[in-house]
Amino acid sequence: MKTIILVTAIRYLTPLFLVFSIYILFRGHNHPGGGFIGGLIGSIAFVFHVLAYGSARTVNSYFQLTVYHQDRQQNNSPTQYMWDMVSANTWNRLKNRTPDWRFHIFRVRPAYLMAAGLFLATTSGVTGLLRGKPFMTGWWMEVKIPFIGSLGTPTLFDAGVYMLVMGMVLKLVFTMSKE
Amino acid sequence: MSSDLLLLLPLLIPLYGALVCLMFWQQEQWQAVMVGLAQIAWMTTIVFLMQRVMAEEVLVTQIGNWPAPFGITLVADIFGALMLLAAAVIGIAVYLFSLQGLDVTRRRFGYYPLLLLLQMGVSGVCLTGDLFNLFVWFEVLLICCFALLSLGGTKGQLEGTLKYVTINFLASGFLLAGVGVMYSLYGALNLAELALMVRQPEHPNLPLLSMASVFFLVGFGIKSAIFPLFFWLPASYHSPPVAISALIAGLVTKVGIYTLIRLFTLIFISDLGFMLPLLAILSGFTMLIGVIGAAAQTDFKKILSFHIISQIGYMLMGLAIYTPLAIAGSVFFIVHNILVKTNLFLISGVVAQRYRTFSLKKLGGVYLHQPVLALLFLLSALSLAGTPPLSGFWGKLMLAKAGLEAGAYTLVGVSLCVSLITLFSMTKIWNEVFWKPKPGNHIPDKDLAPVSLLRLRQLHLPVILLLVVILFIGVYARPLVQLSVRAANGLLHIEKYTETVLSNKTLK
Repeated sequence: MKTIILVTAIRYLTPLFLVFSIYILFRGHNHPGGGFIGGLIGSIAFVFHVLAYGSARTVNSYFQLTVYHQDRQQNNSPTQYMWDMVSANTWNRLKNRTPDWRFHIFRVRPAYLMAAGLFLATTSGVTGLLRGKPFMTGWWMEVKIPFIGSLGTPTLFDAGVYMLVMGMVLKLVFTMSKE
Repeated sequence: MSSDLLLLLPLLIPLYGALVCLMFWQQEQWQAVMVGLAQIAWMTTIVFLMQRVMAEEVLVTQIGNWPAPFGITLVADIFGALMLLAAAVIGIAVYLFSLQGLDVTRRRFGYYPLLLLLQMGVSGVCLTGDLFNLFVWFEVLLICCFALLSLGGTKGQLEGTLKYVTINFLASGFLLAGVGVMYSLYGALNLAELALMVRQPEHPNLPLLSMASVFFLVGFGIKSAIFPLFFWLPASYHSPPVAISALIAGLVTKVGIYTLIRLFTLIFISDLGFMLPLLAILSGFTMLIGVIGAAAQTDFKKILSFHIISQIGYMLMGLAIYTPLAIAGSVFFIVHNILVKTNLFLISGVVAQRYRTFSLKKLGGVYLHQPVLALLFLLSALSLAGTPPLSGFWGKLMLAKAGLEAGAYTLVGVSLCVSLITLFSMTKIWNEVFWKPKPGNHIPDKDLAPVSLLRLRQLHLPVILLLVVILFIGVYARPLVQLSVRAANGLLHIEKYTETVLSNKTLK
């Protein structure tokens, strides 16, 4: 499946899918959409990315962060040291790095995504209990944000479902692409 | 504590516990600690819930603050709280057993989160006040069962799971169709609302109600293994390790019976003249076939699996007789059976930890090595068979008395005969596993699995814990009998239930 057209197109389509999925997530309260379908659309981005580049590359570009660090040298001030560390991990990433740099990989596993989503969805319901009302009683902000609409605990619930669905599909895709 | 919180905690505690387990996916020691805490917290909330329910009969909360027939309702009454209490006790026992009795691989691949999610499913089934949610919670419970049964992926397990999954999909299809039929007949899914509607004699769809009830009878009948639909149970329950099969064997079929009793006392009451004789026939055959099947088996766990079926027959017998005493007998029997069946499975696990087999032919002479274990088995087995003064006796006494009062002589006769054969079957296990000399050519002493004394004691701990509870409800049966009678009254007189659910006084 690794054709040049697909590979080039996916590079531009992936952010588009993600932005669209978030739009779907937020419009879900009063229109068709919501967390479930938003999560599915969002995971399409990564499904295509896996098809085009392979799951290792997808994990590398979206689901893990490698943080490089190094012991402080004798002649470095603490400020200079902090500045070096930040620059090495942001705009100078991978450039003037010597092999003796140590690194730590932070990886977002799909299982974590699922757990975080479930946690968010459940906790959005628990806020109702904390206010002395039944579970999942909605609470909405007074102000209306343009384009997104009003925010409230049901939005949090939807966001949790979004993460849960995305984690589920990613788990499936990563597992199957290993075959 | 407000009833809003009290009804939600039995669902939230296992869910949050499972979430933490997902976060600590790699570190199964931390998972074990978390699950231990969750079990204690679950038990505590259920005790609180029981206390409140005993004072107020029915507790209710409306999810999302939507008024009753439109929103989702959670209801707790004495029957549901009793089920949860029994489930919490065996939850703690199975958890304690799993610490030593389950291999690390299975624990690492999600045994603990699945255990908690299964308990969440049980809470959901016992607390829901909505027909569709009942179906959904039952599916939550069953999906965890599927995963637990196949956890580890050995050949025997996969074979058993395949049978279990296939037949349960079919049953779920029946249930979903039944829910759909109910909705099309009455336009409501709230159990309290439905209960009021089916009691209106002039409702045009009333004659069609028995059609809907057949869907539920078949669906939950498959899930709780009643007579013609039981064959999947002995084929699948013996395959997984004991820490899994004890939980599933102890709990899941009883939850099926719980829903049957709930639905047939609350909703499907219009055509009892047809349904009760049918249930009586089914329960008689369930008892008989289960116990005859057990007599033919020569495997510790398979004998116990067949006995599950025959015990299901007793629970159904109370529903078939349908007097307050009979339903109370069923409730008592369900609680007793959840505890005793789990305990017997755990004992088979303790034996197998040492001797690495469940086959009666290869086992023997356990009495010499572990006399305490033999005593524990003897008491549990006698309790299952219903010897006075142990707990099984009171359940059977209540059922038999109710049956004789109602004139169901054949059914009572069958149940008493089945008790006798149960005793025979338990004696068979006793003779083969504990009493007879060890068949020397099979396992020489040096081939016994090396089990340290500490580990062996830890394995005994849950068995002793359960046996203490069993002895308590046997020797001092009065509180549980009274509770069962109250539960049965609550089931047969639904005014309080419907009033509390539909009054919406909780809305704020």
